[in-house]
Amino acid sequence: MAGHDTSHRDAPDAAGSGASHLSSQAPAEPLIRTEDLTKHFRLGGMFAKRVLHAVDDFNLTINEREIVALVGESGSGKSTVARLLARIYPTTRGDIYYRNRSLHGLRRRKDLLWYRGEVAIVFQDPFSAFNPVHRVSHGVLRNLALHRPELNAAQRRQEAARVFESVGLSSKMLRRFPYEMSGGERQRVGFAQALAVRPKLILADEPVSMLDVSIRAGVLNMMSALRDAEGVSILYITHDLASARYLADRVIVMYAGHQVESGPMGTVLSQPKHPYTQLLLAAAADHEQDDAISGDTGEPPRVINPTEGCRFRWRCPLAIELCSQVTPRPMPIGEAQVACHVVAAGDGSHETRPADAAAVTHASRGQ
Amino acid sequence: MAEALLEVTDLTIDYLTEAADVRAVNRVSFTVHSGEFLGIVGESGCGKSTLLFGVAQLLSPPGEVVGGQAVFHGRDMVKLDREELRHMRWRDYSVVMQSAMNALNPMKSIGAQFKDTLRAHGNASSEEITQRSEEVMGLVGIDAAHLASYPHQLSGGMRQRAMIAMALLYTPQLVIMDEPTSALDVVAQRSLMSKIKDLQHGLGFAVIFVTHDMSVVSRYSDNVIVMYAGEIAEAAATDTIFRRPLHPYTRGLMSALPSVTGPRKELIGIPGSPPDLARPPSGCRFNPRCPEVMPACLTDEPMLYRVGDDAVRCLLYAEDAEAQRPTAAR
Amino acid sequence: MTTSTSAPEILEGAGVLETRGDPLRFVRAVLRNRKATAGILILALMTFVALFPGLIAPDDPLATIYPPNELPSSAHLLGTTQLGQDVLSQLIYSTRLTLQVTLVVSVIATFLSMIVGVTAAYVGGITDRILTVVIDVFLILPVLPLLILLASYLPPGVTSLTIVLCITSWAFQARQLRSQGLSIRNRDFLVAAKVRGERPLYIILVEIVPTMTSLLAASFLGLAVFVVGFAASLQFLGLGNSSDLMWGTMLYNAQQAAALEAGNPWWALAPGGAVALLGAGFALVNYAFDEIGNPALRPARRRRRGRSSA
Repeated sequence: MAGHDTSHRDAPDAAGSGASHLSSQAPAEPLIRTEDLTKHFRLGGMFAKRVLHAVDDFNLTINEREIVALVGESGSGKSTVARLLARIYPTTRGDIYYRNRSLHGLRRRKDLLWYRGEVAIVFQDPFSAFNPVHRVSHGVLRNLALHRPELNAAQRRQEAARVFESVGLSSKMLRRFPYEMSGGERQRVGFAQALAVRPKLILADEPVSMLDVSIRAGVLNMMSALRDAEGVSILYITHDLASARYLADRVIVMYAGHQVESGPMGTVLSQPKHPYTQLLLAAAADHEQDDAISGDTGEPPRVINPTEGCRFRWRCPLAIELCSQVTPRPMPIGEAQVACHVVAAGDGSHETRPADAAAVTHASRGQ
Repeated sequence: MAEALLEVTDLTIDYLTEAADVRAVNRVSFTVHSGEFLGIVGESGCGKSTLLFGVAQLLSPPGEVVGGQAVFHGRDMVKLDREELRHMRWRDYSVVMQSAMNALNPMKSIGAQFKDTLRAHGNASSEEITQRSEEVMGLVGIDAAHLASYPHQLSGGMRQRAMIAMALLYTPQLVIMDEPTSALDVVAQRSLMSKIKDLQHGLGFAVIFVTHDMSVVSRYSDNVIVMYAGEIAEAAATDTIFRRPLHPYTRGLMSALPSVTGPRKELIGIPGSPPDLARPPSGCRFNPRCPEVMPACLTDEPMLYRVGDDAVRCLLYAEDAEAQRPTAAR
Repeated sequence: MTTSTSAPEILEGAGVLETRGDPLRFVRAVLRNRKATAGILILALMTFVALFPGLIAPDDPLATIYPPNELPSSAHLLGTTQLGQDVLSQLIYSTRLTLQVTLVVSVIATFLSMIVGVTAAYVGGITDRILTVVIDVFLILPVLPLLILLASYLPPGVTSLTIVLCITSWAFQARQLRSQGLSIRNRDFLVAAKVRGERPLYIILVEIVPTMTSLLAASFLGLAVFVVGFAASLQFLGLGNSSDLMWGTMLYNAQQAAALEAGNPWWALAPGGAVALLGAGFALVNYAFDEIGNPALRPARRRRRGRSSA
């Protein structure tokens, strides 16, 4: 089967220090960054005691023309991050800076509308993301009307045709209703809607999870092409490490509302440092033996009224006493940032590889 | 060679709707031997779940088996009446559904549902029920204390394990599973599959496993059937298919899978979508999307041709193989 | 081995699903359903009679020229009233006003319940609580005391009747529409509309309400059934203007003249039957739309086919 190695990308790498590929220009200011982003949901009404910590103290950075993957399982908080960035939910704490401008300062409708023209979101479910009574052109045309008022009606129709074609759909499909299109086609429409506002950043919340495998490739390739052709950055949210690897330059791994590891894709995948990353990798990789996941049954994390400390400690083969007392913060280790006391302490001498993790696991299980 | 447990021959299932009759499964044949793990792979609309339901005799109107047979232990399940089926169910074969939340009763504890199942298909005493319930929970790795729990109190992974425990209550010879892991995260999935495989080795039952996830199939199944548009596109031993896929659809599926390790190749996938089974294309059903389509493909319907250990429904192989009704495994 | 081609640059949408928007298919579905056909025939008949009473009615309904209290005969198929009017003609001419009031009230009440229900659901918060209280108040309003109160202030007649009916019937469906609104307010397409910056009123009118057309149609039809009967009841109780030509006032007049005991019973039975028939017409169409829209409700069809070898 023909294949070519496309692992060498020339996007600037701004994660952590010591970037191995330097572009000719110095890294520009980040497009968007968050500062201790936090979102809690109160469960069960105004006076209930149970608080769900969906996202806690989350810091991310996305630069121009880059695809960043946000990887995590259910309950990790990755979708909440997307919705916070899209301003669907207000933040509980922390702030989001778009081009160094705090989003908390945006109050007037004009400002909010401006932001929405810069950052667009694409949803996961191609079946519920469209209003069944309107044609698929509706969302695109409304986006154009709201965010590109300089266009008249005829120009809007033209632009709608153009964005459709840029996602690989014929302009004839503008008149279709959602039920007349397949899941893959609908996801492309979702991207077309996002592109209509000419955003700088597209938040793609698990855009291919609900599509058939044979269709995913097309949509993933389209996303990659969008970054090249339209110069838009993409935050690719997924639980699938394999597609993240295919698409993204950098990866952020989330667990239980926290960022556990982040860094260049190649580095994180070949030398995962955080035990959770290693677990994910072992579960996803083809050649690993089953016992590499060491009997971990994949129980979801505890995020309701959590205590201080690392939220992975109950499943972690490396857990020490400190882990139940102090919540680890991401620290730079090599090219990555890792939130783990044990790894940080043994920095340099403790670079575990997946096979080593299995060995450590077996050793610790023997207690 | 292991005995043939289930022989499905020319099974055909239609959905009889007012608008049109849709042939969801068209003349599917395969054999499952005792202890075998057979994976049935396909994307949405290929008919794999319908096939499963047909074999397990769980179809309800408008779906109906209109042709063929499914012979289990010498008896054609398609022709059995409800009483005879009830006797076979759970003792000889059992079913694990896709979503435990849909299959388990949210109002009853796990233990109560086990009891219902045991009572429905046999005459066990209370002590035997308790003992067996605890046994199966132990088999799947859940603390027996959870017999008192309700489904919503368990995590997704544990619920699926409870479903499997329930399926093993009578230690059947065949367990039919419809995508039991698709609602689970990757670690839970891996753990569950590993457990299923362990149980299979320990108890010796055969498994028919329907899924859309090729990676699950590649790791755990002995033999694979790839379905497309209601028909078998390719069927062979797992190694054979993954090493050397013959059908262009199978090849397309392989080319669409990104991998976490290994070289980074360009993903290609398959353009277009599966056909509307109310109006399937003439000739080979894959011809609108096939990268290797020939003029004959538009008019001639390919049969299942045997090529070595592989069975392929593709005109590319019509000449160098005799057309036979094959079995999925040797 | 041949190389596979990459995906075509532009998808022409090869995998098109069959269009359900085909109007002819809808008509065929309606005709195949017996309830729908019966209901539509009744309503069509009523509409025709309402529009062209002169074509069918044998006489002027108000002409008091005939012998009073006559039982049905070949000259007067339904007999005559106490004042010597032809009952059949009255019945026919009353159709228009009856239908008119029914439709006007149903439209207004449905519209009101839609606005209130959907706004409460979508805006949520304090607005929702206030509107829910309003709905509940109107639901439990004691109708009869209210009517008597209003009757002393409002002039008897069709307008007052319409007002009273609107006030008392809009709240039923508001709750249901609010529930429906609540169930879809977090659907992705509504979130998407909010995210792109649409204003709430736009979202309610353009994004939410159009998805509820079948529910609104069902509300409307269900309301119509109720209004037909209730309007007649109110008039029967004397709360209408007895000189308006409506089935309800016919019932009132017949009752005043003790028609059932002492005169022509058909003077009372005929309008009662007409009310029932119109109500049934709306109800049948309502059931039928349910069945057409939701295949699970259709009567089970058993099609026996011989086992073919395909």
